[in-house]
Amino acid sequence: MSESSHPTLLSSCALAATAKEAQFRVPYPNSRVRASRIFALDQRAADAMMTITEQPWQGAHFLTVRVNVDPDKTAASDLPLEKPDGSPADLAEEIEGANVVVLISSSDNNAGAAEVIAREAFMRNIMSAGLVLNEDGDAMKSSAVVNTLRPFTSVLVIATDQDFIPAMLTALRA
Amino acid sequence: MLRKEVNDLLTQTGADNPMGKMFRQYWIPALLARELPEDDCEPVRVKLLGERLIAFRDSKGRYGLIDEFCAHRGVSLWFGRNEEGGLRCPYHGWKYDVEGNCTEVPSEPEESGFCEKIKLTAYPLIKVGDVLWTHMGDKDNRPPEPAWEFATVPPEQTFTSKRWQECNWLQAMEGGIDSSHVSFLHSGGLKSDPLFKGAKGNEYNHADKKPIFEVTEAEGGLYIGARRKAEEGRFYWRITPWVMPSFTMVPPRGDHPMHGHFWIPIDDENCWAWSFDFHPVRALTDEERQAMKDGHGVHNEYVPGTFRPLQNKDNDYMMDREAQKRGDTYSGIKGIAMQDASLQESMGPIVDRTKENLVSTDNGIIMARHRLRKAVIALRDNGTMPPGRSNEHQKVRSVAVVLDADQPYAETCKEDLKSRPGTKQTSV
Ligand code: FES
Ligand SMILES: [Fe+2]
Repeated sequence: MSESSHPTLLSSCALAATAKEAQFRVPYPNSRVRASRIFALDQRAADAMMTITEQPWQGAHFLTVRVNVDPDKTAASDLPLEKPDGSPADLAEEIEGANVVVLISSSDNNAGAAEVIAREAFMRNIMSAGLVLNEDGDAMKSSAVVNTLRPFTSVLVIATDQDFIPAMLTALRA
Repeated sequence: MLRKEVNDLLTQTGADNPMGKMFRQYWIPALLARELPEDDCEPVRVKLLGERLIAFRDSKGRYGLIDEFCAHRGVSLWFGRNEEGGLRCPYHGWKYDVEGNCTEVPSEPEESGFCEKIKLTAYPLIKVGDVLWTHMGDKDNRPPEPAWEFATVPPEQTFTSKRWQECNWLQAMEGGIDSSHVSFLHSGGLKSDPLFKGAKGNEYNHADKKPIFEVTEAEGGLYIGARRKAEEGRFYWRITPWVMPSFTMVPPRGDHPMHGHFWIPIDDENCWAWSFDFHPVRALTDEERQAMKDGHGVHNEYVPGTFRPLQNKDNDYMMDREAQKRGDTYSGIKGIAMQDASLQESMGPIVDRTKENLVSTDNGIIMARHRLRKAVIALRDNGTMPPGRSNEHQKVRSVAVVLDADQPYAETCKEDLKSRPGTKQTSV
């Protein structure tokens, strides 16, 4: 350890960490708007997601895929992807330039769709987060969902209530 | 980021604040039992949840935690005489018992019954393990006595310390569930600290610097699982339980004692960081106990005679730029506890969370705030008792384990995540 008695100067921690000094944090934004792409992978996930799409988000896109697909036979452009108003969307276009991808799932029979989306994200070096909705608290079922998402996501949350979706998206500035 | 109103909701803990009301639903650690070592010993000033209190132990060994100030003219009872079954104010001799009842007002005739009209606020103070616990809420709705494993194992198996941390409780507590900082901030300690080194699991930590996180809700709070690659496609998991409102346990390493923390508000700009170490099935060795006293592991060194860390903001935490450059420590600050505390205090007394830019790996923190917010609102609006009060929620353990790639940790380790008296911890 070096000198154990540094003098307390104007710029030292003793002053810098006070409440008074905290008021002098630079008053300008420290980040720009991000591009978040939120995918609901089944009907229940879509229902949960659709309740919040109207809130003022900062550029988040909400997308739904309601059918499962064979990932080996499905190119990005073939994934049946829907916008909240029901119009079709193109996966590659949506993912291009995205900063974060969130996959919301409540069942284990959409692994194919998860893989197609995650593949596109992975190719572009975009982080995918998985959110498993487990509202009935059924551990066996949620572990099946977890297993479908685990290979594709770099963080997974198993949540028991859908209120977590807006909480998480707000926290991430979606 | 967190909206300002939510940040206020979760960080303000006075008696009138919703989060303050929530903290008052629990038994919280108030003092180390060794702070009141014998009958009629010195009284101790203690501030908790923004209330200034005085703790004492009377001639019969009863513990009391009462309003610090004499009801007569407001003198601090820290100056009091602890004698003959009560604490006597040295100004005019008024005397109080452990329940805050005024038992003597020398100037008034006993028959007048005057002293029966005087009563200081008092909270219960009970000893469980090395800790004196208090419940500052409704006396008709006391939770069951604390059942945390560190406090209920035999005394030779456990060691507890506390330190003053100069910031709000929430940013300190969030450090305990922020698993993604460990690979950076604490990267120097695994090799050298006597209370961590040598475990097989440490090799996985070093080999895989990019852990993947899985956050799972539990009844009492959360599990935060961090997984790294192990042999043959298997995963090394480190599982941190968080129990509401502010208890966490660090995943174990080999046969080292297990450790964890409580973060308890002193006021909204200061908190007690409690740190404990215990072994579920054996006595701590003399070397381990000495290492803890010397400030290794999750503990720290002190300014003599105080609970203020020796490294503190007045000496810039004894920043050592050479050690930072060499990589002995990642931040230049010595010791796990002070590495955390220095950075958390640097955020300011109450960090402005509207300025944050959280990322996916912060999901443990995001979920913990979400759970706290829901519990605070349920209590405020419906009187619903928050999670973490029941003994079942408190009987948790952290786990370090190697599992097959398709195994869900929370279900697979269900039993390992429970405290089981007399059973060894699950650790690699
Ligand atoms: S890198 Fe996380 S606070 Fe700076
Ligand atoms: Fe830490």
